[in-house]
Amino acid sequence: MMQWLAGAQPVLVGGVLAWAGAIKVFGRSAELAARRSALRRLVGTGRVFAVYRAVGGVELAVATLLVLPPAHPAKGIAALVLAVGMVGYLGYARFAAPESSCGCLGEKHTPVRTRSFARAGVLVLASGTAMFAMDWWPVPFLDRPLATVGLLAAEAALVVVLSPELDGVWLVPLRRLRLRISHPLAGRPFEIPLESTVQQLHRSAAYRAVADQLRSDLLDSWDEGEWRMLTYSTGPATAVFAVPRLKYDPAQVKVVLVDEEVLV
Amino acid sequence: MNSLDRRRFLTRAVLGTATTVVTASALGAVSPEVAIAEPAFEVEPGGIDPNFAEGRITGIKGALLMVSGSDGVLHQIQLTSGTSVWKLRPATIDAAAVGDGLYARGVRLPDGTLAADAVWLNIVNLQVNITSIGKDVLHLDHNGNLIVGHVVAGTTATVYNGTPAVTDLSLLQVGKHVQVLGAWRPDTNEVDLATVFAAA
Amino acid sequence: MSPDDVVPDAPATGETSWFCCGSAWGPCGATGHGACGTCNSGSRQCAWPNTSDACFSITRPDRCGEDLLRRTCGHTFFVRNLCRTTEIAVTIADCGPQTDLWCGEQSCCSGSCASNRILDLTPSAFSAIGNLSSGIIPMAVHS
Repeated sequence: MMQWLAGAQPVLVGGVLAWAGAIKVFGRSAELAARRSALRRLVGTGRVFAVYRAVGGVELAVATLLVLPPAHPAKGIAALVLAVGMVGYLGYARFAAPESSCGCLGEKHTPVRTRSFARAGVLVLASGTAMFAMDWWPVPFLDRPLATVGLLAAEAALVVVLSPELDGVWLVPLRRLRLRISHPLAGRPFEIPLESTVQQLHRSAAYRAVADQLRSDLLDSWDEGEWRMLTYSTGPATAVFAVPRLKYDPAQVKVVLVDEEVLV
Repeated sequence: MNSLDRRRFLTRAVLGTATTVVTASALGAVSPEVAIAEPAFEVEPGGIDPNFAEGRITGIKGALLMVSGSDGVLHQIQLTSGTSVWKLRPATIDAAAVGDGLYARGVRLPDGTLAADAVWLNIVNLQVNITSIGKDVLHLDHNGNLIVGHVVAGTTATVYNGTPAVTDLSLLQVGKHVQVLGAWRPDTNEVDLATVFAAA
Repeated sequence: MSPDDVVPDAPATGETSWFCCGSAWGPCGATGHGACGTCNSGSRQCAWPNTSDACFSITRPDRCGEDLLRRTCGHTFFVRNLCRTTEIAVTIADCGPQTDLWCGEQSCCSGSCASNRILDLTPSAFSAIGNLSSGIIPMAVHS
């Protein structure tokens, strides 16, 4: 059982490393991704792209080693060193440059959060397991084809779920589908929001006539039949606007400036 | 005049049924000279605006707010009955609480107090992406940080591409870039939503 | 809008919103001092979509048909709410807004309308010509 498990891991680890390495070495936006990443804080702007590409090269090299025969513990160790190094880099990024992007799997801005650490943890476990593989990876496939495919599919799905870079591929469409079936914010009661009345006010000639005198934001508002009253301070007076509440007709907006006695 | 009578009076004034408009002394507890004072400073472009204050409320004494600015400066902000207070919606000074974030605009008095014309409590205006939508809640991504936006019945409105605001939020989509104006809940990553601006 | 590159001092009209900067309270705590390193919410400052090539590549005002001149950190603009006569002076302290995400959006004041977000103001600057609760206003800007 352990052998079967260990034998399959080079496929997962090799696949993830190949993907990460290819994006860094061949990606069109590799330079942008490098500059946005926490790596820039670590090595400086002048060297970040070269270092970023070099890391990608190492990832591709280890991925190639993992998938080529024969199986050897040293390959798993190499992958494990990379994975542990990744955890260290994530820790540095989290504390030294928390708003920078991980830069791990693309140029999409993905700050280092719990999911990044969890994904790195999965790779550490998988690489550590791969160290014990005695057979080259096609052997577990031939021994137990369905189980191996199922295992790798589950592990790959876990890596995808833990990759914020890939949310646009599966998570966003899933959430949109859910909204099409039943939007949680549909069916709310119909009301005329205050913001709508304020917008209508701003479009009125009455507002334009006194706008320069207004000193405060909205003091108060209340409804009176078909009107909504809005009050503002001019300093020595209160500007009272009456805005049609149930229709859009800025020409109907009225205003009066009330010099108020403090009435008892 | 209590607030109900005041509203009735003002309603009659604007709708044209009031027979008199009362002439006046200034409102509230501040003396008239202060209420009509003009800004005494020219503000340099790029410079700190002396007639503006930002920070967090550290104390409240009646109509006076003690505010600690993010630059370390301490402000005293005097409110009058002519000062507007915003806390998700138009409010009064009773809505202010220690710990609230604040922006205030007014007139800086010779003793350093800011006589406020307008105070906005916990107001935030954020460019975000909607990551998911739930019952009465929008989960928002703000530069990689999660913000929970609460839909408030009777208040939250949406402006779709500059059209008049509506309370119907069902056209909001996951993945969409929006601007949210709302009231931050202090010391959390949650915001009560006043207006959601969505592009075409 | 009269193109800036034909008559440099002619006012351009557009929309402006407001943004916080300077590591202040709330979600502003993580914001920093903007692309120019000098931005503070309490200062009369603004963000401009064309402060550098890197900035322009993010904001892409050209996608909305806006032909905005390159203006760098510290440049002074004069801004007025279309509804009012008060004009204030602000300096560029950041890159923004993200114009191309809002192409065609329009704000109006009593028959004067303006399209596209071509400026962003600090709370201090925005509150000098409008109300923070408005979120977005039509304005005219010139150098």
